Amino acid sequence: MTAYLQVDGLDHRFGGLRALQECSFTIEQGRITCLVGPNGAGKTTIFNVITGFLKPDQGSVAFRGRSLDGLRPQSIVHAGIARTFQNLRLFTDLTALDNVLVGISGQFGEEPLGAILRPMHTARAQARRRMEAMQTLEHVGLADRARDLVRNLSYGEQKLLTVARVLATGAELLLLDEPASGLSAGALDAIMSLLRRLQNEGKTLLVVEHNTRVVQQIADDVLFLHQGHLMAQGTPERIISDPALAEIYFGGAL
Amino acid sequence: MDFLFSYIVLAEIYVLLGLSTNLLVGIAGIFSVSQAAVFGVGAYLVAHFMMAADPLSFIPSMLIAAACCVALNILVTLPSLRVSGDYFVVTSFGIQLLATAVFTNWAQGTGGANGLPGIPPPDLFGWPVETTGRYVLLCTLFAGLGCLAFWLIMRAPFGRLVRAIREDETAVAAAGKNVLRAKVSAAALAGAFAGTAGGLYATFLSFIDPSSFDLDASILLLTMVVVGGARTLAGSVIGPFLLLALPQLLTLVDIPTTIAAAARQLIYGLLLIVFMLFRPQGLAGERL
Ligand SMILES: Nc1ncnc2c1ncn2[C@@H]1O[C@H](COP(=O)(O)OP(=O)(O)OP(=O)(O)O)[C@@H](O)[C@H]1O
Ligand SMILES: [Mg+2]
Repeated sequence: MTAYLQVDGLDHRFGGLRALQECSFTIEQGRITCLVGPNGAGKTTIFNVITGFLKPDQGSVAFRGRSLDGLRPQSIVHAGIARTFQNLRLFTDLTALDNVLVGISGQFGEEPLGAILRPMHTARAQARRRMEAMQTLEHVGLADRARDLVRNLSYGEQKLLTVARVLATGAELLLLDEPASGLSAGALDAIMSLLRRLQNEGKTLLVVEHNTRVVQQIADDVLFLHQGHLMAQGTPERIISDPALAEIYFGGAL
Repeated sequence: MDFLFSYIVLAEIYVLLGLSTNLLVGIAGIFSVSQAAVFGVGAYLVAHFMMAADPLSFIPSMLIAAACCVALNILVTLPSLRVSGDYFVVTSFGIQLLATAVFTNWAQGTGGANGLPGIPPPDLFGWPVETTGRYVLLCTLFAGLGCLAFWLIMRAPFGRLVRAIREDETAVAAAGKNVLRAKVSAAALAGAFAGTAGGLYATFLSFIDPSSFDLDASILLLTMVVVGGARTLAGSVIGPFLLLALPQLLTLVDIPTTIAAAARQLIYGLLLIVFMLFRPQGLAGERL
């Protein structure tokens, strides 16, 4: 049986630093998997490799049995995997609605020639896409902010918007890099319930998360990464109660 | 009257060039200082086809020239997709110098430094465009079509995509979009506009020489976009009309022509610096 997402023997060096070392794991469809580990463990690097932004020195990634090796980022999105960024990377001079619209795939009028030769068709298609984008914004609870420039949104709203933008791509596997970090209690609840809802709608999620309470509440499965290597994989209860892992996780920091 | 008409014709030709430069510099973020070279290739090609032993008429000459300039502009902007911004300015500078060298020294093809006289006026389906008045109509038509095309693409998803690319290419790629393709499209369209402008210019003046297509001309185009404003239609129209009015105004002041030319360059240079420093969005545009 082929795994939904299979990460196999990834190695990656930044100069002398081994950011990933024989890192392997699999993810099951329809689950929320949390990727945890101390700062600098290589979590973001894993995301960069899976989504084609970084070519690993060694190892391979396969999605639904199909190799993603050597594919460009946009091709990987079309294959069904989309990611958010730890530092958000929203288009801050555009409106919330436009940020979502950028993510919608296969739009007529994204090529200049089409836009010039078939202006009416472009306008109609765009009106439909706007509706779609509005629905996506509603879905994450940002409908009332649609026309606002992103730089006027609160941090919590911006985090929700990054999720809206990956949803717009139509991808089925969403890689979310710390969607809950730095949020107030209210915003935290909003994002956790959103992640649950996405799961119920059939999305598969791989989420980088530091907060153990959040991990306990949303994760079906936890991957523990340390120095670029997968140390352990299991249920949240098992991982969190493992004293050796707790020592790695908190030992350095506390 | 002819004085005013000539100004309008030239300004409208430069509107096409302003749109072209805006597409490339403002929209694709490719900081090119060789747009006048592409303009020149358009001009020489149209002149060549219309003056050939077996001459082509105006419209087919324009179409071929535009197509060649599309290819050429894609070719000269390709390095920009390999080397980063700062280095590309140098590459582009080299392309401009190379073009000027060819225009000046290839005597058989371009008339060399002496220029190419006797380019016939356009003939539109039996309607000769011989008077300056008719030329105003023709250029208004072309500039109008250019503006319409620019307006259509900027309000279409393409416009949003290029604004997003300007902010964050990585995020655009993560949203599943092909950044490279969008830039190449903008460069192609910029080539078509510059080539068309070249053809209009050559047939209007009936004489062309390398001095119209040199580095100064490229920098003038950049100044137009900076002063008018990046990425907007209004900016692309205001810049050329304003900057071309300047030499006309200088003729009203009673100074020798030799000083007038230097004064013009000086003012263009000052405008470029002042706008870059204090008003990077230009008069009616967005930040470069
Ligand atoms: N582009 C880069 N160049 C050099 N070193 C890098 C680069 N990106 C990451 N690193 C290093 O690789 C290691 C793994 O980084 P990564 O960002 O994947 O960690 P992380 O698990 O996401 O950490 P955090 O919890 O802080 O986000 C770190 O030591 C980091 O400093
Ligand atoms: Mg990280």
